[in-house]
Amino acid sequence: MNTPSSRKATPGRLAAITATLLVLLSPFLWLLQMSFKTNDQILQFPPPLIFTPTLEHYSALWHSAFSASFVNSLSSASLSTALALLLGVPAAYALSRWAGRGKHGLSFAILVTRMAPPIAFTIPFFLFYRWIDLLDTITGLVLVYTSFNLPLVIWMMQPFFDTIPVSLEEAALVDGARTRTVFTRIVLPMVTPGIAATAILCFLYAWNDFFFALILTRTNARTAPVAVVNFMNYEGWEWGKIAAGGSLVMAPVLIFSLAVRRYLVSGLTAGAVKG
Amino acid sequence: MSQSGIDGERRRFIAFALAPSLIVLFAVAVLPAIYLVVTSLTPFQLTTPGSATDFSAPLRNYALLPGDPRFVNSLAVQAKLSFWGVLFQVLFGMLLALLLNVPSRFVEFARTFFLIPMVLPPIVVAVIWKLIYTPDISPLYYAAQALHFTMPALTSSVDFALTAIIIADTWEWLPFTFLMVLAALQTIPNEYSEAALVDGASTLQIFWYVTLPFITPILVVSGMFRLIDSVKAFPLIFLLTSGGPGTVTEVTNYYAYLLAFDTNEIGYSSAVTVVMLLLVAGISLGLVWMGRRREALA
Repeated sequence: MNTPSSRKATPGRLAAITATLLVLLSPFLWLLQMSFKTNDQILQFPPPLIFTPTLEHYSALWHSAFSASFVNSLSSASLSTALALLLGVPAAYALSRWAGRGKHGLSFAILVTRMAPPIAFTIPFFLFYRWIDLLDTITGLVLVYTSFNLPLVIWMMQPFFDTIPVSLEEAALVDGARTRTVFTRIVLPMVTPGIAATAILCFLYAWNDFFFALILTRTNARTAPVAVVNFMNYEGWEWGKIAAGGSLVMAPVLIFSLAVRRYLVSGLTAGAVKG
Repeated sequence: MSQSGIDGERRRFIAFALAPSLIVLFAVAVLPAIYLVVTSLTPFQLTTPGSATDFSAPLRNYALLPGDPRFVNSLAVQAKLSFWGVLFQVLFGMLLALLLNVPSRFVEFARTFFLIPMVLPPIVVAVIWKLIYTPDISPLYYAAQALHFTMPALTSSVDFALTAIIIADTWEWLPFTFLMVLAALQTIPNEYSEAALVDGASTLQIFWYVTLPFITPILVVSGMFRLIDSVKAFPLIFLLTSGGPGTVTEVTNYYAYLLAFDTNEIGYSSAVTVVMLLLVAGISLGLVWMGRRREALA
């Protein structure tokens, strides 16, 4: 079969694709190489392209308060992911099987919560946390992250449940099994890949958050994204540490998103809560 | 067991599965929204006791808005940022998708790497562009110096600050439109362009009369999604310009942030946020309406 000329992988085209990729990723690669340079090398002109990489910034970060904020990021992101899955997966199943009116209205309402700008939630949460003493705690962060991860779970999991034929469940029900058993023994095992992909996306959204952590934490629960920015404010302009910290914050994200790239689109069109 | 017994048991399970999520969503999304609207009716300041429950002039904040030059300016800045950002993202995303729409193992492998800017934590994207825009350490300024060309300071200049933000924002979100357009391109049957080719159409004509009509809906939808999300651009502005110089890059979201957490005007900031929410909800409704219409046409 003849593919039209506009869709052939000619050598010229492959070269153009490679060049575009390099140009597009160059700002990202610049950050990466900077994290392996000494402070003198960073300020050197012209910048040395070949140099002996050093891990001094990474080890300095490891021995500083940054490691604690990294742990804060890990725990708040994992806990909010677990909570959102625990609540959201059964709800998504119910919505998928429920033929009643109000289903579309509910789905739309869930989508709207994801589209609202974070500042709309920050002000009420800040006032409420100040009142009940939840400012600067992991619990506080987990609750806020659930406000955007729970809608994401419901939105992402529903299509997975839709693909499972109802006749399969009906057969088990006729045999006398309870709906609860059918759900945990038959339906859940069939959507495990979907749950894994959803879990990773939830983790990434919580991990990527900067705005909520900036306002709702001070020192105890400070997350890694906020800690990176603090290298600019208080300890002078430590470019090496900033680059190394930035690289550490993006490492889990890069690994995980390669793992779920197939689901990235549906997860992101659910109205990305970034910012 | 009777049929109705199964149905009843099923209905109870559905209610039981749905209830906890609805209660939590009500607590973490609906209640805060109500609280926000209530606060927007007060002159609440953290430092003034009793101001949180002062409803003597409930619409005062909203009446102040049209006469607040910083608020009006912030809407204009947001409009400029959204317009150019979305335009460039859709345009370059489409061009990139056209370039990568070839059947090849290598290209499929490379595709994943094009997504990197979008999945990076937004604050890391801001750090990356901070490095690019800071003269002492930037490859851009090194290159300019090597070519004996004087680069203006981008983020602190009145003329370039907003452009600098738009460039960084386009870089971050270009992969999103690229991904959406590529998915649409791959659904176009090859026969269409083959037939056009047989009829002697040029590549440009095929693009204009075959490809473009096919992908127009997805261009509009991905543009709308980006438009809604462009309101959230915070880390870039926070780290690169802090809304400055002056108020050149101060978008509504950033102004609301400064009002609430810098100058303590929580009541007034809530009113600004409510207006912003209404705008976003309006665009979202438009998006849903367009989706319905497409479903009806299909």
